[in-house]
Amino acid sequence: MQRSSQEFSRGHISAKEMDETVAEFFKRTILKIPMAEMMTILKAWDFLSENQLQTVNFRQRKESLVQDLVLLCEKKRASLNDAAILDIVYTQFHRHQKVWDVFRMSREPGEDIDLFDMEQFKRSFKKILQRALKNVTISFRDAEENAVWIRIAWGSQYRKPNQYRPVYVVYYSQTPYAFTSSSQLRSNIPLLGQALTIASKHHQIMKMDLRSRYLDSLKAIVFKQYNQTFETHNSTTPLHERSLGLDINMDSRIIHENRIEKERVQRVTQETFGYYPQPRLEFAQYKLETKFKSDLNGGILAEREEPLRCLIKFSSPHLLEALKALAPAGIADAPLSPLLTCIPNKGMNYFKIRDK
Amino acid sequence: MELADTLRPDGDPKGGVLAHLERLETRMHRSRKKLEEPQTVQAEESALVTEIQKLRRLRDKLRAEVKRRQAGFGLLHILQVKASTANVEPDQTWEITEQEVLERKWENLKAVLQAYRFTGLSGKLTSRGVCVCISTAFEGNLLDSYFMDLIVQKPLRIHRHSVPVFIPLEELSAKYLETNIQHFLFTLCEYLNAYSGRKYQADRLQSDFAAFLAGPLQRNSLCNLLSFTYKVEPRGQSFPLCARLLYKDLTRTLPTDVTVTYQGMDALSTSWEEQRASQENLFRTKPLHHVFTSFARKGEMLDMSLVS
Repeated sequence: MQRSSQEFSRGHISAKEMDETVAEFFKRTILKIPMAEMMTILKAWDFLSENQLQTVNFRQRKESLVQDLVLLCEKKRASLNDAAILDIVYTQFHRHQKVWDVFRMSREPGEDIDLFDMEQFKRSFKKILQRALKNVTISFRDAEENAVWIRIAWGSQYRKPNQYRPVYVVYYSQTPYAFTSSSQLRSNIPLLGQALTIASKHHQIMKMDLRSRYLDSLKAIVFKQYNQTFETHNSTTPLHERSLGLDINMDSRIIHENRIEKERVQRVTQETFGYYPQPRLEFAQYKLETKFKSDLNGGILAEREEPLRCLIKFSSPHLLEALKALAPAGIADAPLSPLLTCIPNKGMNYFKIRDK
Repeated sequence: MELADTLRPDGDPKGGVLAHLERLETRMHRSRKKLEEPQTVQAEESALVTEIQKLRRLRDKLRAEVKRRQAGFGLLHILQVKASTANVEPDQTWEITEQEVLERKWENLKAVLQAYRFTGLSGKLTSRGVCVCISTAFEGNLLDSYFMDLIVQKPLRIHRHSVPVFIPLEELSAKYLETNIQHFLFTLCEYLNAYSGRKYQADRLQSDFAAFLAGPLQRNSLCNLLSFTYKVEPRGQSFPLCARLLYKDLTRTLPTDVTVTYQGMDALSTSWEEQRASQENLFRTKPLHHVFTSFARKGEMLDMSLVS
C-alpha cells in the first residue's frame, strides 16, 4: 500500500485526487458489505444520491461493483470521515460481530441539571482525545433515541491511525451508561473512559462485569427495559395462562404422575423469570476462590487450607432462556441458584466468588 | 255352506260336530276382534294425540325460557320483554334476579376502574403490592403511560418500572418513597408529564414544521435543550435565526432560558433587534409548536393579502 508523500493526521484530502490510503479504506469497507445488503447500507449512508446509485450496475461481479462505487466516491470528493461513517453504518447493521462491554459513569450528588448538548459533547470528546493523541480519527453518527455512535481509530505518536482496528462507543444522552466494542488495544481504554466522562459531565467511570455480542440486550439489561408487562385494569392478556409446555389436559389417556411437583416447578420458574422474553447473553462466568466443602470424609480436595481456584463458564446461544428451561426439563432443581438468576437484575455475567 | 264340509264321507259324527263347533268358535272370535280393533286403535290414537299436544306445549315453554336467558341482562331487553309479556300476560311481573343486578354493577365498576387512568394517576392491586400507572398528557392529548410495581413491605420498594433511565427516579425514591409516598408520586407525575410535554413539542416541531427548519433539530433525551435554525417564512427571503432553548426546570414544559440570534450577525439595527427580542419572548411564553403555528398563520395571511 503506497503512502502518499504528505502525512495526514486528520484525514484531509488533497484537492486533486483521493489519497490512496483512503481509497483503499473505501474499497475494503465496501467489500465487507454482503451483496444482499449493499443497496440498504449505501442508502443508509446517504452520501451517494439516488441518481448516482442508479448509474451503477448492481448485478455485476462484486469486485467490479466495488471499483465503480469507489470511483463514484472519488468523483464526489469523499473524505476519510465519509469512509468512517460508512464503516459505522456497516457496524450498526452487523453489531453482533463485535463483543460489547458496558461502562457506568457517576457524578457527585447535588449537581446541576444535566443540560446535555450533543454538539458540545462531540466537540469536547474530540478535543480531549486529540490533545492526548496526535494521531486519532474520530467520527460520529447520530442514532435513534438520542444516542450517538462514535468510531475511534487509534494511532500513536509516530504512526497514522489504524483504520482497520477501530473501537466503537454507543452513548445514550443523559444516561450513565456507555457501550464499547471490545478492543485488543487495551492501552487506550483509560483515555477513552476519561474523554467520555468529562465530555458527558460525569466524574467517575467504571467497567461493569457485563459483556455480550447483543448490544440491544445489554441496553435492555442496564436500562431495565426487559420486564415490561405490567398489571393494569386495561390489560386483556391473562398473565397466568402461559405454560412451559406442560399441557395437562392434552390427552386423557396420559396421566401425569408428578403433576403437583411439576406445577410447583412451573410456578417457581415463572416467578423467577417472569413472562417476558429474556435478554440475550451468550455466557456467564464464575471465578471461584473458595475453600472446598465436602460431606464425604477424606478425598484429595477435603481439608485443604488454601481456597480452590476454579473457573466455571456456562455458554449458550441464549443463556437466560436456557437457564429458564432447566427446571421444567428436570435437569435442575427449582428454585435455581441465585447466582444464576440474579444475572439480569444485577447486570452482571462475570462473577468472582470468595469465601466471606 | 260350511255345514256341508263337515259331512265326511265316512260319516263320523263326533269329529264332525266338535270340529264344527271349534270352527264356529274361532269364527266368532275373529269377528269379535274385528269389531274391537278400531276401538283400541282409536283409543291408542287419541292417547298419542294428547301426548303430542302435551309435548308441544312443553317445547314452546322451554323455547321461550331459552330465549329469555340468552338475550342477556340488558335493561333494554328487560323492558322489551316486559312490554311483550305485558301484551300477552299483563299480570306476570318480570323479576330481575339478584345475580343480574350484581353482574351489571361489576361491569360498571370495571369500566370506572379502566377509565381512572384518564385522571393521570391510577393503580391496581397486585399480589405483593400495587402497580401504579402514570398516564401523561399535554394540552388535552393523552401521551405515554409509565408503570411502577411497588412491593408493600418494610421497606417499601420499587420492584420494577418503565420510567426512562434519564428521569431521576432513584433520587426521588431515595428522598421520598419511605417518608412521603404522596409527595413522591406527585413529584414523579410532574417530572413525567413535563418530559412528555417537552417531547411532544419537539416531535411536533420536527414533523409538522420541518419546512421552517434550516437543518436538523438538536435535542437530547430529556428534551431539555433544543437548538435549531429556522426561518419565519419557509420559502421567503427572511434571514435565518438560531434559537437555543434551555429547560432548566424539569417540571415545566416552557423553557427557562431562550437565546435567539440572527445567524452570523452580531450588530443589529434597532428594528432587527426588536424583532429578535420579540422572537425570544415568543419562545419563552408559548409552547414551541404554537409559535410555529403562528408563523404559519402569519404566512397564510400574507399570502392572502398578496393574492387580494
